[in-house]
Amino acid sequence: MIRHLFTLIWNRKRSNFLLMAEILLSFFVLFVVSVLLVNNYYNYRQPMGFTSDNVWEFNINPGQDTINRKETLRRLVQELKATPGVAAVTWTSNTPFSFSNNNTDEYRYKDKGAPQTEIFDTDDDMVKVLGLNVVAGRWYDSRDDASSRHTIVVNQRFADEMFGQESAVGKVLTNDKHDEEWQIVGVVEAFRSGSDFASNDPTIFIRRALQDTARMSNTEQATLLVRVQPGSAAVLEQQLVRKIKAVTKGWDANVNTLAENRKDKLKFVMTPLIALGLVGLFLIINVALGLFGVLWYNINQRKAEIGLRRALGATGNAISRQFLGEMLVVTTLGVAGGLLLAVQFPLLGVFGLATPVYFMAMLLATVLVFTLTAICALQPSRIAAAIQPAVSLREE
Amino acid sequence: MENMLTQTAARPLPTGAPLTATSQPVIHLRDIEKVYQTKTIETVALNRVNLTINKGEFVSIMGPSGCGKSTLLSIIGLLDEPTSGVIELDGRPVQSYSDKELAYLRNQKIGFVFQSYHLINDLSVLDNVELPLLYRAGVGGKERRERAYAALDKVGLSARTNHFPSQLSGGQRQRVAIARALAGRPEIILADEPTGNLDSVMGEEIMDLLLGLNQQEGTTIVMVTHDEQQAHKTQRLIRFFDGSQVS
Ligand SMILES: Nc1ncnc2c1ncn2[C@@H]1O[C@H](COP(=O)(O)OP(=O)(O)OP(=O)(O)O)[C@@H](O)[C@H]1O
Ligand SMILES: [Mg+2]
Repeated sequence: MIRHLFTLIWNRKRSNFLLMAEILLSFFVLFVVSVLLVNNYYNYRQPMGFTSDNVWEFNINPGQDTINRKETLRRLVQELKATPGVAAVTWTSNTPFSFSNNNTDEYRYKDKGAPQTEIFDTDDDMVKVLGLNVVAGRWYDSRDDASSRHTIVVNQRFADEMFGQESAVGKVLTNDKHDEEWQIVGVVEAFRSGSDFASNDPTIFIRRALQDTARMSNTEQATLLVRVQPGSAAVLEQQLVRKIKAVTKGWDANVNTLAENRKDKLKFVMTPLIALGLVGLFLIINVALGLFGVLWYNINQRKAEIGLRRALGATGNAISRQFLGEMLVVTTLGVAGGLLLAVQFPLLGVFGLATPVYFMAMLLATVLVFTLTAICALQPSRIAAAIQPAVSLREE
Repeated sequence: MENMLTQTAARPLPTGAPLTATSQPVIHLRDIEKVYQTKTIETVALNRVNLTINKGEFVSIMGPSGCGKSTLLSIIGLLDEPTSGVIELDGRPVQSYSDKELAYLRNQKIGFVFQSYHLINDLSVLDNVELPLLYRAGVGGKERRERAYAALDKVGLSARTNHFPSQLSGGQRQRVAIARALAGRPEIILADEPTGNLDSVMGEEIMDLLLGLNQQEGTTIVMVTHDEQQAHKTQRLIRFFDGSQVS
């Protein structure tokens, strides 16, 4: 029977080749759609690298007050830290889930340029406020006061892309002009700051100290992230706002929680994601219908053959098995071709996504294509086999 | 409309032919009716047919075009169901057979030669002839091949085994269809105008082949033919007649 199957497939090579091409194309479309969908799911399942619960964001606008801004801010941070219910306070240039970001590829190590990198200017307490997970070296602190270079911490992704297997700690980055240097003192596991679906982009945290006078421009607003004790409520919030007013003598301040910001950002990124999902679904349905049509037509063309085989003593199951077997072989060939194409994506790094994403997408597309072709092979052959042989024999 | 069935009971046997027929019925049709229903018209193709065919008999069926001969044959061959009436095979009504049992009977018991051959165009002549054996448990590839070659040899086509049906003449295709029915060595051969496309010499040869099978192997044969001479060589001739209506 197996030999018969292969004889049949070989003798029908022209129409099978077309089928194979259709399956290959379908596989490829499903693969690309899968990559997009799987990538988002994959990101979603990755560690964020920080915790946003119980963190409040204060945006403080000094307004026209240009005297002693730095000093005022320094006192404010100290006052806040001293407030009961406050666990840690950090002064940062940007926050997770914000709608703006700051990135550059100016860094280099020896001859190697850095990838597009997210930059956060933060102080020593950032690690405490966000609960960052330091996996190598340490977070920067007062020991770095004397350093002649900028002190930085990078995320693992940055370390991997820049140094591969080598340790990142201790490495010194420069810029194109070689007039500044950044020394890496530590590595954090991850920092997916964009949203729940954001990828873990290369990120560096540059130390800034309130003592350092060079780094607060006159137009800059100050952003403070405050970690509070779990269960802290509006009372503490009021208290902190009042304290800000008191210390700064009239600077403007507004408060959000990072949890709220996370939700807002999620809503924002979900919209295109849902659109993408719908387009993906639409494409999948399209491919399924196309495949269904071609296969259905192909098997319907063979109704007389089915009738004849029934007349010669084939059972309905034998017919189903034969058509399933034929489709299995043709599909395997088509999918194999598709996989050969698909595997080029991670090899050439086309989208620059994590390798597992491609393989999950390949698996998904393979399962989809095989399921579709199995249904398409079984359903029409079942129907045809259930008809009286004399009736299907007439369909020539 | 009315279909009439005339049975000529006492036909003289062909000279020298040994009497192989027994009085043991293999096929028994009772009040068989077949009505084809289309949107516009209802065709009564078979009207209360009663017929018994005994084991080892060689029966020929004659009648004008459209009188229901092919319809009758496909009902006997378990390829179609009658609208009403009972068919018994070896004394058991076929309505009681399961799908699997029917497949088994079609495969083991019956060899069908179709009026329009019904060869699979994607298979070589040899593969086509092997087909019934493919669905038979316990027949290996080698035996299949040998029996298919032997059957093709009998119909004079051993030189064409690797051809495809599209490369054959009508008569050659007909002979492949005959070889396919022979390859399974069935107890019953149902042949729908098996010599319809053959020249008289070739037709004679096929007729002799069938007669030989009937006499030597005791194969029961029901043959539809338009050839009076051939019909007279068989043990019994059944005339089918379409009474009034032509659709
Ligand atoms: N599927 C069908 N649908 C409708 N009518 C049919 C169908 N098959 C056969 N008929 C009709 O049934 C009648 C008998 O057809 P059948 O093929 O049995 O004739 P036949 O005696 O074999 O003719 P011929 O000698 O030309 O082969 C015809 O009138 C035909 O038109
Ligand atoms: Mg006919």
